Amino acid sequence: MATKSPTTATEPPPSSSAGTPPPPLPPPPLHQPQPAKPDAPPSEPKLSATPDANVILVPSHSRWFSWDSIHQCEVRHLPEFFDSSSKSPRVYKYYRNSIIKYFRYNPNRKITFTDVRKTLVGDVGSIRRVFEFLEAWGLINYHPSSSFSKPFKWDDEDTKVDSAEPPPPPVRETAKRVCSGCKALCTIACFVCDKYDLTLCARCYVRGNYRVGVSSSDFKRVEISEETKTEWTEKETLNLVEAISHYGDDWKRVSHQVVGRTEKECVAHFLKLPFGEQFLGSAVSDDGCELKQHADESETVASAESNKRMRLTPLADASNPIMAQAAFLSALAGPEVAQAAAQAALTTLSDVYKSTRINYRSLPKNTLQQDAGVASNGGNNSDSLQGARLNASLQLEKDESDVEKAISEIIEVQMKNIQDKLVHFEDLDLLMEKERQQLEQTKNMFFLDQLTLLFQKPSAPKTGEYPQGNHVKTTT
Amino acid sequence: MKAPASIFYRNPVKFRMPTAENLVPIRLDIEIDAQRYKDAFTWNPSDPDSEVGVFAKRTVKDLKLPPPFVTQIAQSIQSQLAEFRSYEGQDMYAGEKIVPIKLDLRVNHTLVKDQFLWDLNNFESDPEEFARIFCKDMGIEDPEVGPAIAFAIREQLYEITIQSVVSVRESRLSKKGRRGGDYTPISKGGAVAVDLVKLFGQKSSVIRKRKEWDVYEPIVDLLSNEEVDALEAKEERIFR
Repeated sequence: MATKSPTTATEPPPSSSAGTPPPPLPPPPLHQPQPAKPDAPPSEPKLSATPDANVILVPSHSRWFSWDSIHQCEVRHLPEFFDSSSKSPRVYKYYRNSIIKYFRYNPNRKITFTDVRKTLVGDVGSIRRVFEFLEAWGLINYHPSSSFSKPFKWDDEDTKVDSAEPPPPPVRETAKRVCSGCKALCTIACFVCDKYDLTLCARCYVRGNYRVGVSSSDFKRVEISEETKTEWTEKETLNLVEAISHYGDDWKRVSHQVVGRTEKECVAHFLKLPFGEQFLGSAVSDDGCELKQHADESETVASAESNKRMRLTPLADASNPIMAQAAFLSALAGPEVAQAAAQAALTTLSDVYKSTRINYRSLPKNTLQQDAGVASNGGNNSDSLQGARLNASLQLEKDESDVEKAISEIIEVQMKNIQDKLVHFEDLDLLMEKERQQLEQTKNMFFLDQLTLLFQKPSAPKTGEYPQGNHVKTTT
Repeated sequence: MKAPASIFYRNPVKFRMPTAENLVPIRLDIEIDAQRYKDAFTWNPSDPDSEVGVFAKRTVKDLKLPPPFVTQIAQSIQSQLAEFRSYEGQDMYAGEKIVPIKLDLRVNHTLVKDQFLWDLNNFESDPEEFARIFCKDMGIEDPEVGPAIAFAIREQLYEITIQSVVSVRESRLSKKGRRGGDYTPISKGGAVAVDLVKLFGQKSSVIRKRKEWDVYEPIVDLLSNEEVDALEAKEERIFR
């Protein structure tokens, strides 16, 4: 007798439960998991490293769900509740909400259909369909995993999606990291998404080879060679900084000085240092050049690696190869480096621009000043020239910005105008519609009156024939 | 109690469950290799037959039963469905039937005893709704009690309607035989139709007599673990 089975005493007894009784839930979901908890699914998946009872994970493709309303896709997938007269949407809502409450009562486990149908009043066929629908959309039994399960088949309800299998968490602590997308060993850098325990290599990340609900901003870049293999100790860092201040750009010598680190590692670690640029103050003069230098270094490193990579991997995004390359490079190099490079590019650009503008502006200024200079002494001219030039440029900038502001304001006002006109036209349209309908109605009434009149006309001579019988037939 | 002829021989109605939804109560009791699976639920007979297989597989998978159960479960469901469908084409008499329904069931830790009257003529009746409201009113926390109650009601209604079909058949036979008027139902079930006219004649009121209140009051008991074990042991002995 392996299984328990509660039975009853005399009359046609219904006995529920079969096999092993469901996990004991003394205050079952009927107790309404307190509304104080954020019971309603969040509009986007929330982070929960340790699944808390207070945070429910819902895939973003199911964010339409709400307790009180029924969404179009539910109507589409389960028409039986909405078409036939016997089952009502209320029943559907009751099934759906009770199943979801049952699951959320303990979101770590996977609920089975049999557990649920024992608690619901109704025929098991429709309960099963609701259950499978909810499971397919990840509203129940949703345990986000690192494995890329096959894409959900929305139109095929019968295929059961085993998205609920929580595979063992990806290997975190060891040095080796395998990409969840292409199952290749991650080498230089990998991207980790904590929310879903995903690990992607740089290729997959750039290609966008991740799951439906995950966005690229959820990923965090994790270096492999530095952090997981060996950590830089304080001594080593100090050593590195000293070496750099001595040798500057010569990474070979720096790597020799820092024992046991290759050039690449030195460079990479140096770039990662929080105030790395400041240590380099002796070797360079001003900020722009320094940043550019870093950018150059990083670019060379990155380009070297990218060359290697380009030989091995074709870039997926052929439609915009330049963007793909840029994305790939920046992904490889890391955000700080990319930022530094961008900043450097910006500053140099602005410098170039300023110089050209000054060249441009200086011509009329020079002529002006020349005229003035002829009259006055030459000694103070250079200073006043400089000051005037500065003032003029400042004024120019201010004027430009004012003009821009004015233009944007004008545009705004125009847009508002247009919008108001649109609204007004809409109202007019509505009025027109109403009047048209009224017109239709009066037309119909008129037609009716005409008809009755016509029908009564032939009866009029009849009544003339039978003077006694005044049968006025009312035909309407 | 002989019902007046005019009411009894009304127009026959096609067989169906006298409830808003035409659902069949299915009871399963399968034993394979000393493993026993007992279950009871409602099924929609208009579901395609493929559903039976799917349901059987799902149940076996969920409950981690050994595979031979799948075919057994499917067969059992199919045979009960076939039986239901065999009644479906036939006629049954609606009649003025107010039948008493008795509930006497134990689900996990909850014991429910109740008795009430049900109108068989009301084809819009809903045992599920009754069960929901019952659980809500009596403050029953165990969510499995509701479906069990609905199932009990449905099963009893099913049996009564089957009997009315059978009685139609027999009455036709007896009509072919001898007299038409003098008819006594050969098969007597547990539920006897209550004659409304007799109960609620002109003199008596609709309100129940005070001494009958206790009989019709629902009793809901929560049992402790030991009591549950004791009851189960008793049932096993009875089953054996």
